[in-house]
Amino acid sequence: MSLTLRRNDYSLTDEQGQLVDMLRDIFTEQSPIAVVRAAEPLGFDQKLWDTVKENGLVTISVPESAGGDGGGLVELVLAGIEIGRTAAPVPLLDQVVALRAFAALKAAGADLAGLDMDAALAGDLIVSIAPISTWELGSQLIPSGAVAKAVLAFKDDSIILMSRKTLAPQAQNEGCAPVAWWSPTDSDVATTTVLEGAQALATWELVQREWRIATASSLVGLLAISSEMAREYALDRKAFGVTIAKFQAISHQLADIHMDVVTARNMTLKAAWLTENEPEYRPELAAMAMAHATRAALRSTTKAAHVYGGMGITLEADISLFFRKVTSWSLVGGGQRRDLEEIARAIDTRAAELQLQSSNR
Amino acid sequence: MDFSQVDFTPEQLALESEIREIIEANWTPNYAHIAVDHDRMPVKVRMEFAKRGLLHPDLPKDQGGAGLGELELEMIAGIADEYWMPTNVSNSMLIPTLEKHGSAWLKEHVLPGIRRGEITTCLGYSEPDNGSDIAAATTKAVQDGDTWVINGQKMWTTWGNESDYVFLLARTGAVEEKHRTLTMFLVPMDTPGVEATPVWILGGGRTNVTFYTDVTVSDQYRIGPVNEGWNVMSEPLATEHGAGVETQGVAPVNGTMGQTFSRVFEKFVDASIKWAASRKTADGKSRLEDPITRMAIAEAMLDLEMCWNAEGELGKPMSAEALSRNADRMADIAAPEGLLDFGVDGSIYAGNIASERQHAPGTSVYGGTTEIYRNNLARRLGLPRPY
Ligand SMILES: Cc1cc2nc3c(=O)[nH]c(=O)nc-3n(C[C@H](O)[C@H](O)[C@H](O)COP(=O)(O)OP(=O)(O)OC[C@H]3O[C@@H](n4cnc5c(N)ncnc54)[C@H](O)[C@@H]3O)c2cc1C
Repeated sequence: MSLTLRRNDYSLTDEQGQLVDMLRDIFTEQSPIAVVRAAEPLGFDQKLWDTVKENGLVTISVPESAGGDGGGLVELVLAGIEIGRTAAPVPLLDQVVALRAFAALKAAGADLAGLDMDAALAGDLIVSIAPISTWELGSQLIPSGAVAKAVLAFKDDSIILMSRKTLAPQAQNEGCAPVAWWSPTDSDVATTTVLEGAQALATWELVQREWRIATASSLVGLLAISSEMAREYALDRKAFGVTIAKFQAISHQLADIHMDVVTARNMTLKAAWLTENEPEYRPELAAMAMAHATRAALRSTTKAAHVYGGMGITLEADISLFFRKVTSWSLVGGGQRRDLEEIARAIDTRAAELQLQSSNR
Repeated sequence: MDFSQVDFTPEQLALESEIREIIEANWTPNYAHIAVDHDRMPVKVRMEFAKRGLLHPDLPKDQGGAGLGELELEMIAGIADEYWMPTNVSNSMLIPTLEKHGSAWLKEHVLPGIRRGEITTCLGYSEPDNGSDIAAATTKAVQDGDTWVINGQKMWTTWGNESDYVFLLARTGAVEEKHRTLTMFLVPMDTPGVEATPVWILGGGRTNVTFYTDVTVSDQYRIGPVNEGWNVMSEPLATEHGAGVETQGVAPVNGTMGQTFSRVFEKFVDASIKWAASRKTADGKSRLEDPITRMAIAEAMLDLEMCWNAEGELGKPMSAEALSRNADRMADIAAPEGLLDFGVDGSIYAGNIASERQHAPGTSVYGGTTEIYRNNLARRLGLPRPY
């Protein structure tokens, strides 16, 4: 046996740091809570989307060869975190994941003739993917499905492209995410097969992983801002003559929330880097990032809201808005059990490795 | 950002072989004992490592080290882990303290032996009446000319029965003054009046109560100025807690204890997989195919990955709690076999599961409880002290 070691470097480059600053400026300025609320119930703001387009963010992580500006998944995660921090009502993450999927499909020789790629790259055509289509066959809820006109899905061993001329009606949900029911057999939906066979499944698995990473990053952002808000509230609010932050029952909850933020962020960045650079190494990392971001966001925004006492559950409180967003954003991909099912594939990999080892001993 | 595999240089590959040879010649892994984190490095390995400067590999060669970097340290940890070999020496964190605060005499007579791995130490902070609140220590040191007379009792002095010295926290003034009247000493364990009696913990490990009755030591054994003990002690304590870990991009980010616990956790996940592979469900299929078993192991794997990503001081509490949670989960999934000790008919790897269920709760206590970690974290988040 020989030892293998991997680097463990989570640091951002100066450029990535500048990207974060730029994104934070754009989204905090252009997507304050008032904008987020005004965009409800649909969860989409055309003006903000125009700003996103003008700032060239639509192609942020699209390969240069496919008409993008060559950023990678790490950059997408950084964008996702900022989107999450402001609950920005724009379908940027789904759009970029779909654009990256188109690029991968093109490279695999897929037929994308039915798609107006220029419009998609410009953000004039909103595109998305059907993350649960490997296990949900017919009609399914599509993230950004109420604003998209083209959706990639997996069906019968093939990757298909579903298109609509008119928008699908939003399926109402607490978090006001623009999700909608789409079905390949719906008369409003035109369906073309873009890639078939073994290559289709391999490509789709990668698309699914990227979608998980992107979605996880938005949950990290929601979680981070909820954590900061709860901390500030705890320092401000008094009970029994002292700030409630003095109570360990409160401060330890804040510590727990912070642990969730840090681990979810690190796991998502690591999964992004490895999925981009070594997709064959530990393919479960994307599902791990998503599963942890999901459980962390669900439990920690619940705790964050709880720190506010009664105020935390009022609709007017901003913290409850983030709680609601987490509900929708974390469930639209099929939930933690599906991620765990994916993670469980690593058990088989490890079992195979261990048998090799034990015969050596 | 970089998570790529490291290509070892020829020197590093030679180091790898050297370490493997030393371990293989001097250590037999005991797969029944999953909790390697609480044990000491085997003496024979320690002596071999020391000869080559590998005990404190990051120290310069003229200080008894091997002048190696973070990567080599990780290599050593990784190889030791592969052989289930404990690496605890407990001296490393005292070396900088002795260099900075030790008396000339200690530096000349004790420090070199510590560097060479010949002298071992244990930590005497906790007492029967105060553990978390270390600054409430009551073990007294009273100056008498050039000597000190120490009286009191310490609790949880791990390795106190097999160490040459104890790094002792003593009271040198009014106890009400708390951290302002503490002084550190390095007391030889063979001084008359020092006595260690065992305390057995869940999972079979040993720690000690140590008694100090009219223990008289020369002033040369004092470390740092009188009543400055709190500052002197803080540095090694912070190292133990994983504070301010600044890695060079190779070491795990989750601190010393976080890392150690995560490695135990890793073995435990493997044990769970081995156990599942060795069992069948009623329909004759391997339990590796059983969805309930798969879900449980997948959750353990998820928690393990989370532990490796728990930065700095988050590493210890998160991995301690993840260990307990998953030991519960796996013991339950492997029930009823999950209760069998290693070597018992039918236990196979379930012995590791039962043993981890015993070991895990301690990880939330020793080295500072998870509550104390949360207090510290809360303060770093800018929250006020609770009391
Ligand atoms: C196996 C083992 C090995 C050890 N090895 C050593 C060693 O080598 N040297 C050494 O000096 N010590 C050692 N310790 C001692 C260890 O550091 C203490 O046990 C630990 O710091 C807790 O102290 P305590 O046991 O007195 O519990 P206490 O401090 O009495 O705590 C009891 C409970 O109260 C909680 N609590 C206490 N204070 C607070 C607070 N401020 N806020 C919230 N909750 C609080 C604790 O979290 C805990 O749950 C060891 C302990 C064990 C179990």
